[in-house]
Amino acid sequence: MVIDVQVASFFTAAALIVLGLFAALFIDNLIKKVIGLAFIADGVNLFLVTLGYRPGGMVYIFLPGMSADIFTQTASYPLPFAMVLTSIVIGASTLAVMLGIIIILYKKHGTISASKILNE
Amino acid sequence: MNSLIPIMVILPITCALLLNLIHTKERAVKILAIIVGIALPIIPLLTSYGLHYFGGHAPLINNPVLAQGLPAFLTETVLNIYHPAITYIFSSAQQLFIFILGIMAFLVIFTSLNETKRASGVYAFLMFMGTAAVTAILLSDDIFNLYVFFEIAALSQVGIIIASNAERSYETALKYLFLASIAAPMLLLAVAFLLGVSGNVNITDIIYSINTGLVDPQNPVLLMACGLLFFGWLYGAGLPPFHTIKSAVYSKALPHGAALLQAFSVFTFVAIAIIILRIFSFIPLAKIFIIVISLLAMILGITMALMQTDFKRLIGYLAVGELGYIGIGLGLGTALGITAGLFQAVNEALITSLIFIGFGTIFYKTGISNINKLGGLMTENPRLSFIVILSGFAMAGIPPFNAFQSKLLLVQASITAGLPELGIIMVLLSIVTFMTFMKAFYTIYLRPKPSDLEINDKDIPKATVISMVVLLVLCLILGLFPQIATSFLEPFAQGLI
Repeated sequence: MVIDVQVASFFTAAALIVLGLFAALFIDNLIKKVIGLAFIADGVNLFLVTLGYRPGGMVYIFLPGMSADIFTQTASYPLPFAMVLTSIVIGASTLAVMLGIIIILYKKHGTISASKILNE
Repeated sequence: MNSLIPIMVILPITCALLLNLIHTKERAVKILAIIVGIALPIIPLLTSYGLHYFGGHAPLINNPVLAQGLPAFLTETVLNIYHPAITYIFSSAQQLFIFILGIMAFLVIFTSLNETKRASGVYAFLMFMGTAAVTAILLSDDIFNLYVFFEIAALSQVGIIIASNAERSYETALKYLFLASIAAPMLLLAVAFLLGVSGNVNITDIIYSINTGLVDPQNPVLLMACGLLFFGWLYGAGLPPFHTIKSAVYSKALPHGAALLQAFSVFTFVAIAIIILRIFSFIPLAKIFIIVISLLAMILGITMALMQTDFKRLIGYLAVGELGYIGIGLGLGTALGITAGLFQAVNEALITSLIFIGFGTIFYKTGISNINKLGGLMTENPRLSFIVILSGFAMAGIPPFNAFQSKLLLVQASITAGLPELGIIMVLLSIVTFMTFMKAFYTIYLRPKPSDLEINDKDIPKATVISMVVLLVLCLILGLFPQIATSFLEPFAQGLI
């Protein structure tokens, strides 16, 4: 059985989001929680990329001499890709801040257990 | 001058970046922060209403020169009217909100620069960045742009918490960031769903697609997008189930930082709620959900405030409770209800800031925020105590202060909308708010001073007193002349329905 690339990507994105949510909510290790949160962001990014995918499509650059009809029929949708690039940058910044805070908390508490650090 | 519209966002961002660069030069930090802080409320007053297209890329219908020679699939279809660039909308309501946000940002930055021994460029950077992000959230007609600034606002808020250096501030910041890292992708997923069904991220274009039948309103993907947008709204505004972490955030920040943080929450609440009402007005459940969540926020916020012993946390819960009033007005969906809700948003931002800064003077003098360890502070500074009690009157909705006018409008709106029960609940909860505030005021100011309470000799900085007086005067002006605010909000509310 051959699964369509787009459908497979949608399922992968959903799996990443669910796995990420599970890790963020139920795993005690702070680093693993952060990895889970990164999974959620990656899943959403993959979903967006998949939205812009066009089976058998071409890159969305309108070159001189190109037929407008062919371009519209075959070019993929560029907006999701631009959005994903921005989202990746924001995600990286958030990740860096989270990891920085965890380093400080590890030095203070000597552990990265969420139940020991975060429960007041 | 429509070119000033993006300046409202670009100026604080540029200032923030410069402050970060020169953070070691104290005098330069102070001068730059004060100058830009003064400019923040002035710019919206000078800007004319209208739209701003980034890169100058207006819809083709407004750009006949560009449209000439373009293929028919662009000029003779709906693509002709779609917005190709990020678009900012500036109308009367945005003008009022950004003006108030600018005044508050200026007062908070002015206070913080004078209260701290050494002006911190990094702290001012965070406050300007947060202000820029919330301004962009208020202006943006592009739902992806909203997501970007939603994340920037969350990161700035985390920075402001950490900068306080309070006990367990890092722990609270990490918790808040964890939740942000779930809420923001959910918001992005909502954007992706809306993009998937409509091919657009521009809010006006999405609404056009739904209203003209290009997108089937019964499409379940739209419902999912609505649910995810609601999730982002609950987190951004600190509504239940995020009210506990939001009040913890306020309690860990410095009092003036908390004042600005709650203003961020109020304006984010309003901006996202308006987007939900604009896009999903065809779903009756959306308005009901806004009312239910708002009721829950009012009841949980105000009752949990009763149980608090930390005054920063107490005000934090009261602030969450007050958000409920705004939500009820918006959820009613009538012009009067929306006007009243938006007026309440302006009032709440002003009053809660005043209370945070006012109670902050106690923290400044004693370093204690536990009300059980405080007492007898009325004799320390009777004038400031008087301003603080007036702020409590304002929050409870006692005339002649501004919240009286907005709460009266809210009760009227709920009666005319055929839901007088909501009016009764709002009045009852206002009484509980007043009781909660008076309990804290009595414990801190009026009861005998505990023998072990140490009060330092530092005078309250003049900047703090000036900020409190300015905020109180604003509350009084809006209470005596509510039409100043409602004249800005009514046309917007009419347009929304």
